[in-house]
Amino acid sequence: MSKFDWQKSGVSRRALLKGVAGLGAAGALGLPFARQARAEETTWTLANSMRSLANPYHAAFAKGGEEFAKSIGAKYEQLVTEGNSQKGMSDIRALLQRTGGKLILNVDPNDSPDARVIVEVVQKAGGYVVTQWNKPDDLHPWDHNPSYVAHMSFDGVPAAKTIAEALFKSFGGEGGIVAIGGILSNVPAIERKLGLDQAIEASGGKVKLLDFQPADWNEQKAFEIMQAWITRFGDEIKGVFAANDGMGVGALEALRQNGLAGKVQVVGLDGIEAAVAAVEAGEFAGTVAWDPMWTGGMGLAIPYAVATGKIDIAKEPKEHREFYGTAIIVTKDTVAGYRANPGKVDFNDLWGKATGQIQYRS
Amino acid sequence: MALAVRTSKAGFAKWRAWAPLAVLAGLCILVSLFNSNFLTVSNSLRLLNTAAIPLVLSMGATFIILMGSIDLSVEGVIAVTAVTVSLLVANDLTGYDYGLWAVPVAIIAGGLLGLLNGVLHVRLKTPSFMTTLGVGFAGVGIATAMLGGQTVRISDQTFRALSLGRVGGVPMAIWIALAAVIVAYVIQERTRIGRWVYAIGTDETTARQAGIPIERTRILIFSLAGLFYGLGGVLSAAQFGQGHALISQGRLFTTVTAVVVGGTSLSGGVGSVLNSVVGVLIVVVLANGMVLMGVEPYIQQGVQGLLIIVAVALSLDRSRLDVVK
Repeated sequence: MSKFDWQKSGVSRRALLKGVAGLGAAGALGLPFARQARAEETTWTLANSMRSLANPYHAAFAKGGEEFAKSIGAKYEQLVTEGNSQKGMSDIRALLQRTGGKLILNVDPNDSPDARVIVEVVQKAGGYVVTQWNKPDDLHPWDHNPSYVAHMSFDGVPAAKTIAEALFKSFGGEGGIVAIGGILSNVPAIERKLGLDQAIEASGGKVKLLDFQPADWNEQKAFEIMQAWITRFGDEIKGVFAANDGMGVGALEALRQNGLAGKVQVVGLDGIEAAVAAVEAGEFAGTVAWDPMWTGGMGLAIPYAVATGKIDIAKEPKEHREFYGTAIIVTKDTVAGYRANPGKVDFNDLWGKATGQIQYRS
Repeated sequence: MALAVRTSKAGFAKWRAWAPLAVLAGLCILVSLFNSNFLTVSNSLRLLNTAAIPLVLSMGATFIILMGSIDLSVEGVIAVTAVTVSLLVANDLTGYDYGLWAVPVAIIAGGLLGLLNGVLHVRLKTPSFMTTLGVGFAGVGIATAMLGGQTVRISDQTFRALSLGRVGGVPMAIWIALAAVIVAYVIQERTRIGRWVYAIGTDETTARQAGIPIERTRILIFSLAGLFYGLGGVLSAAQFGQGHALISQGRLFTTVTAVVVGGTSLSGGVGSVLNSVVGVLIVVVLANGMVLMGVEPYIQQGVQGLLIIVAVALSLDRSRLDVVK
């Protein structure tokens, strides 16, 4: 807001007075004009594309992009695929058309194959693109210089292993657990199951996986499966591993209905607010926060640095082109610190939170 | 017993009327052979608790399907009402704290969306399939917009008692679902609207000639269904202690499956809210039972799909069908 110039933006004195007169009016009048004024500072349009604004992860991802765009005074657009690959790609094409190729795109492709098409259309139009989470294994940024700037992801295997070990610790490292998985063909679901398996193996037979059921990332399904498990295994269950926090919350509520919340610990991944609060309440043994504000912002900041000639991306090493972000492990011991210091994003520190080149396991 | 199939003249209609109940009994016996914990009081209460929300939803959906229409807006209406109620009780996003007063507000919001369904369907003469699909999508959109993608967490423990509280050792949600079933049964059996629904579903032309106000009845029934979904949304929010736009994911499929599995025919005119009670129990027992028996996860989905096909085949009175489309 500090760079806002009333005279340049064409807001009359009268409108200014009106705006000052009422806080609501000030918001309504000031904001659109402020956006316009800032947009003149760069000719690049910035956009984040994601599945839906209805889930907290993508809402924060979109917010991260908006924060960065605001910091450089660029026009910012949110594109939503609603789980439809065709819609996602046609929206991107339309935006490329409208901006004449002056587009910096940070995209979480709806499905892995989409990434290739998106990279190709952006490259052809002369824009820049960063992809998140999903892409074919043989599609690499360094094969599409300079347009395909980078691919970012988080490594689910060590994160799931760490959080599973936090769960084991909560019940003394010996006993039975049940595990709820995501849609089994999803890469994160596969990685998180692998991490859990590694943790169980590392326990040397002390921790036993009583049952594994996929609940398709759905908290309602997780609730119902947990209810059935309580009947089937009773107090054999010492802990619950959920491949994401949403399902973990579903399981927790089933435990609560049976007076077991807090007695049987749950872990999840993603770091949603309900899970962090459950860690504080002693009902979750832990969760993993992915920092979507960071991916949302840095997925634009890095290509912006390329577009403005600050860096020559073709000369950057591979671990700056395909990299994992830093997962934040939130447990009983670390939750206070996490709350007090919610990971600040420094848009000038382009790879500060990158933790190594992406591994392909298959 | 109102499980009777009303309009069928086919010879084995009587058998067909009892088929869902027989399926339910068979399932229960099968599962308890594998796991002796199945028929314990605590597991029965768990089952009924899981069934509570689907029961409430299926009460609304039954009337719609009895009319020969379909309502695909279930998830959208739940999303709006769950988010509405979450924002009105003590929560971490707004300063409101209306306690249980938020409940009727949310239920009425559901009724209004149902009314919208009915008015669009009748006045614009669009098929209920498309109208309700559209309203359902809009509902999820409204819920998303209300929260901006956030999740609102409920801190009002009185409100959460709607799901967590127990009366006489039985969870509140079960009592509420029972009340919803009684209300629906009374409407079906003791009101003119209830009779008209069957008339419209059986043969709309004849019903019109008999002087039944078709349009008014349809709008009213869609609104009524919206009220039930609204209650379902309230219970969802109470169950999970939170509201978000995706809270209802998967509810539509369960609801329609339960109604159809219970023996209410998609072609209209045949069935009852009590059939849907049996249908919900079949679906819930099946899901619970497969986990208890340790059935492989992806076989479970196949079994559920098979169940729907078998149920529809059993419940359909083919003597009334001239064409299959």
